[in-house]
Amino acid sequence: MSTILEVSDVHKSYGSLKVIKGVTFEVAKGDTFAIIGPNGAGKTTMFKVITGEVKRDSGTIRYKGEDVSDKTEFERVRLGMGRTFQVARTYPDVTVLDNIVVAIEVRRAARNENAPHWYNVSLRADIVAEAEEHLRDLGLSDKRDMEARFLSHGDKKRLELGLALAGMPEVLMLDEPTAGMSPQDRHATTELILRLREEKKMTVVITEHDMDVIFELASRILVLNHGEALAVGTIEEIRANPLVQDVYLGKEMYSAEG
Amino acid sequence: MTGLKILAGIACAFAFITLPYWANQGVMFLAGLALIEIIFALAWNLLFGFTGLASFGHAAFFAIGAYLTGYVLKAAIGIPFLLLILASGLAGAVVAAITGLVLLRRTTGIHLAIFTLALAEVLRLFIGYSTALGREDGLASIPRPVLELGFTTIQITSGNAYYWFICVMALVLGGLLWVICHGPFGRVLVSIRQDPERTAFMGVNVRGYRLTAFILSGGFSATAGSLYAPWAQIVTPETGHWIHSTQPMLAALLGGAHSFWGPVIGTLVFSVINYLTRNLIGLSEVVIGVVLLVIVLAAPNGIVGLIKMIRRRFFSTPGSSPAGTRS
Repeated sequence: MSTILEVSDVHKSYGSLKVIKGVTFEVAKGDTFAIIGPNGAGKTTMFKVITGEVKRDSGTIRYKGEDVSDKTEFERVRLGMGRTFQVARTYPDVTVLDNIVVAIEVRRAARNENAPHWYNVSLRADIVAEAEEHLRDLGLSDKRDMEARFLSHGDKKRLELGLALAGMPEVLMLDEPTAGMSPQDRHATTELILRLREEKKMTVVITEHDMDVIFELASRILVLNHGEALAVGTIEEIRANPLVQDVYLGKEMYSAEG
Repeated sequence: MTGLKILAGIACAFAFITLPYWANQGVMFLAGLALIEIIFALAWNLLFGFTGLASFGHAAFFAIGAYLTGYVLKAAIGIPFLLLILASGLAGAVVAAITGLVLLRRTTGIHLAIFTLALAEVLRLFIGYSTALGREDGLASIPRPVLELGFTTIQITSGNAYYWFICVMALVLGGLLWVICHGPFGRVLVSIRQDPERTAFMGVNVRGYRLTAFILSGGFSATAGSLYAPWAQIVTPETGHWIHSTQPMLAALLGGAHSFWGPVIGTLVFSVINYLTRNLIGLSEVVIGVVLLVIVLAAPNGIVGLIKMIRRRFFSTPGSSPAGTRS
């Protein structure tokens, strides 16, 4: 399979604190690629460097062969990199439907796909229809007209996933998608991600604390420790790796601490 | 409920249009002023209520429009009046583009507020020193223009005629702002207000949108100023004073900043209070202060928010009206 995301020799420091020390890895198209590691290992920074939220000090990030290291976050999104946040970020003051509508309109405008004009005051029927399809996918149809701030934690997470999906990304980046969820919600979200990945043929990059979720979702795993890549491989390879067992899995695999 | 709203709108429009027949000159002058301030408040709120950027120096844009129009009318250069209004709006937009390009690169929030305040004060002091612009005395006895529409000319030199002209312009400019705020562009602005980072990660050039909103807001504010000059027939540095910058803010806060109609209602309420307390020197500020205090404490979302709350409580419509996008 072809490589869709290529991170080579990326370094990042905050002041004198070196957070990422020369990490290199590749994500193949169709992979579900998990970034794991103990707290402070640099997972979140690595994630932010890929999304463009944080600029790397040196090294390159290539997306579909194109160097995107110096591109802004919105330019990367337009190329096909969508994301969600650790704490779900939706638009609290507008309805669930309007949340998705904005995402669709923005995507259509960016890709010149029959976008509405600035003077189209009423919502266009085809856009509402597309939004309703997304809501069905997410199981949020019955909350269509609710202002997003009234949603439960799990529904907010789902809606945020919908915001990312409405952008039709080729690479979907999920920052701890099940953080703070109840076991049922966690299970439902894992199922949802599995299903959407199949249907939309997306590549998924994920950071997550919950090892059960990782083992259920991931096809390949990068283990970070003190800003260095400890190991990259399939679940079996990672499980069998004595180094990983030593610093991470053995001790923290089943700990509930986040 | 929408029926009631439309009815209220029609009644309001009717009252404004027929005003010269049943009210005296003083009231008519205040009504015209209120319409101009409504446009100004709507322009400011495009930035604050919709985009989430607070400018504390918007009177500068108003002053740019007022002085340009006042100066040209006094000089009797012979530029058609509609073109002069357009030029004033463009001048405001250009100044907004230049300041916005510099300010919006990094600053939002309180820094933007202070920077805009400082720049507006610089402009006001500059006007105060400029002999061509009449220094502290301003430009007095500005003539009211003749409207040349190509196929016909309309005299708007009389008070009544110019008042109706303001009514028409308020409708046109307000309508244009309504469309901008309620279409896809407005929806992106509201998204940026709620969460700029999330919006950037949907593929939106947030800085570009903020700059566009700033330019539009500056342009519309200058247009309001342009209408003001021939109405008041005098333009002084006070039009650019920071106290004037607070007028759209107070109107938006009083009426409800997250609603399109909030600044309109706020401006009208302020105008009525100003009129009713006109003989009680010093008391009007006290009344306005108390009203604001009560509103901010009792209804942080302004009068529009208060109406929505009452409606929800007594008519138990579920929380379905999206604040900001429709109202």
